[in-house]
Amino acid sequence: MLQKLYDWVDERLDITPMWRDIADHEVPEHVNPAHHFSAFIYCFGGLTFFVTVIQILSGMFLTMYYVPDIIHAYESVYYLQNEVTFGVIVRGMHHWGASLVIVMMFLHTLRVFFTGSYKKPRELNWVVGVLIFFVMLGLGFTGYLLPWDMKAYFATVVGLEIAEAVPVVGGFAKALLAGGEIIGAQTLARFFAIHVFFLPGALLGLLGAHFYMIRKQGISGPL
Amino acid sequence: MSEKEHKVSRRQFLTYTLTGVGGFMAAGMLMPMARFALDPALEAGAESDFVRVASLDELTEEPQRFDFVVEQEDGWYSSEVTRVAWIYLANNEVVALSPVCTHLGCTVNWEGSESYPENFFCPCHGGRFERDGTNIQGTPPTRPLDVYEVQVEGDDVYLGGTVQR
Amino acid sequence: MHRGKGMKFVGDSRVPATRMPNIPKDYSEYPHKTEAFWPNFLLREWMVGAVFLIGYLCLTVAHPSPLERVADPTDSGYIPLPDWYFLFLYQLLKYEYAAGDFTVIGAVVMPGIAFGALLLAPFLDRGVERRPIKRPVATSLMLLGVIATIFLTWESVDQHDWEAAARQGAIVEDEIDEDAEGYQIYMSQQACINCHGEQGEGGAAAPNLFESDYSKEEIMDIIINGQGEMPADLFEGSDEELEIMAEWIENDGEAPE
Repeated sequence: MLQKLYDWVDERLDITPMWRDIADHEVPEHVNPAHHFSAFIYCFGGLTFFVTVIQILSGMFLTMYYVPDIIHAYESVYYLQNEVTFGVIVRGMHHWGASLVIVMMFLHTLRVFFTGSYKKPRELNWVVGVLIFFVMLGLGFTGYLLPWDMKAYFATVVGLEIAEAVPVVGGFAKALLAGGEIIGAQTLARFFAIHVFFLPGALLGLLGAHFYMIRKQGISGPL
Repeated sequence: MSEKEHKVSRRQFLTYTLTGVGGFMAAGMLMPMARFALDPALEAGAESDFVRVASLDELTEEPQRFDFVVEQEDGWYSSEVTRVAWIYLANNEVVALSPVCTHLGCTVNWEGSESYPENFFCPCHGGRFERDGTNIQGTPPTRPLDVYEVQVEGDDVYLGGTVQR
Repeated sequence: MHRGKGMKFVGDSRVPATRMPNIPKDYSEYPHKTEAFWPNFLLREWMVGAVFLIGYLCLTVAHPSPLERVADPTDSGYIPLPDWYFLFLYQLLKYEYAAGDFTVIGAVVMPGIAFGALLLAPFLDRGVERRPIKRPVATSLMLLGVIATIFLTWESVDQHDWEAAARQGAIVEDEIDEDAEGYQIYMSQQACINCHGEQGEGGAAAPNLFESDYSKEEIMDIIINGQGEMPADLFEGSDEELEIMAEWIENDGEAPE
């Protein structure tokens, strides 16, 4: 049955070459923890991606209840956390995932750095990776405001004041991020849009480039 | 040992294990999220509070329209909504009918059309109901009007949620 | 691959009519101990992932994500704190040469150099040598950056008054009675509000008014004579008002019956 379905699609779209390309690409011994236990350091990138998947999924589900409005944002978060079954788990996954993804990415960055894997010809992939790091920090910063509780609000006030300290463009950058002079309704709407559409869009593009380059260039050799 | 001696080859075994582990991970991730999303659909309909609508001596054998306000909890948003009931006495029993036409949800009126006295009439598609809310054959609605749960305490008439018949 | 004349296609599409057989490569041709991605390597990868996921779910169950009370922009007593991964930057701005007149250094120049160097690392460290021991400059700079980040984060965590922050952020369950006469008197005393807040919730300098269990007389005594860091004689109303306000505080913010 499954085989027939596969053949039906394959006849029309010729998917076998793509599938074999993914399934048969070889993974060298030195990144395989089953051969050398120390190779577990090569798992951090994969785990970062795994947490990213969890973040995207749990974030999608959270928006089923969340409203980005200063009157109702807090109420809706309180509701989904305390009234909805498993709400505390789904929000918990998103909350802890945000920290874990930073931890995993930090470890992954250190691994790539100390194994010298960013050297020629992989310079561009490193640059893309650091850009992913920045996007993740941006996601953390914008996501922190969304529950609109005390911690969220004042952390954002401080964050935007740091942005304002930038010479020349600081005031402009702050007004752009906050959507005006006041950190309030417009800031929340903006942060929501950035957190849910702009940065994830950028993230997916960068991740695609990251993975494409890994497949194209292969994993860097053993030290 | 060559792979041919086994019914299941090494690669097949690995593939089954792999899909098993993958399924476990997907379930672990998605199960809480799916239950979270399904929550409103699985939540049992909440008991609605009874609201005082009218006093007994206002009621007659003739259906009268009463508007009343109920507190509505909608997730994190609570608001007051106005509901309508057609209330009358039948053999000294209080009957309160919902005005929502069972065809497509328009609002019916008692004797809403001059051509059909003694009927609830729906202006949208000409649906008609008897005094007791039964739908009249040959008009669009397929089931009787819903009734409100009624409680009479002393002289006061309280209405709760609607019940399908 | 078949090219040129004689190619057959599915219908009028560009999909070749001859199917590629869906069989794995012969792995015996692979040099050394390389493995196929599917299913061999991915299985190991996913087993690590499954263990990770279990730990992760246990964490979410054991520690529900925190939610403080709703944002109140007028509450000036709250000590703000960013999410932990920004703490190093937050801490950096507390130091003399990174704050005040030098904010630009702390907020822009130093993080800019650090992150810029990180971004451009492949172009700064261009040697072919990959082992960390063979490129001491790059390795030591990275170690310095990591240690500095960890140190700053640690200092920030250490200096933050977590208990006070938890108190300030806590969701206040019972609202105080703002119609009470005692509250009206309290609101007329700016000296009280400055430290104890408009709702008596306390702040950096003073505790919550309603968490202690003093009697009316003790409260009046504290207001008149001061206690600890609280100065004496700040109350500016009559003795009668003082008594009403003390009763209101004793009664946890509700008007006494």
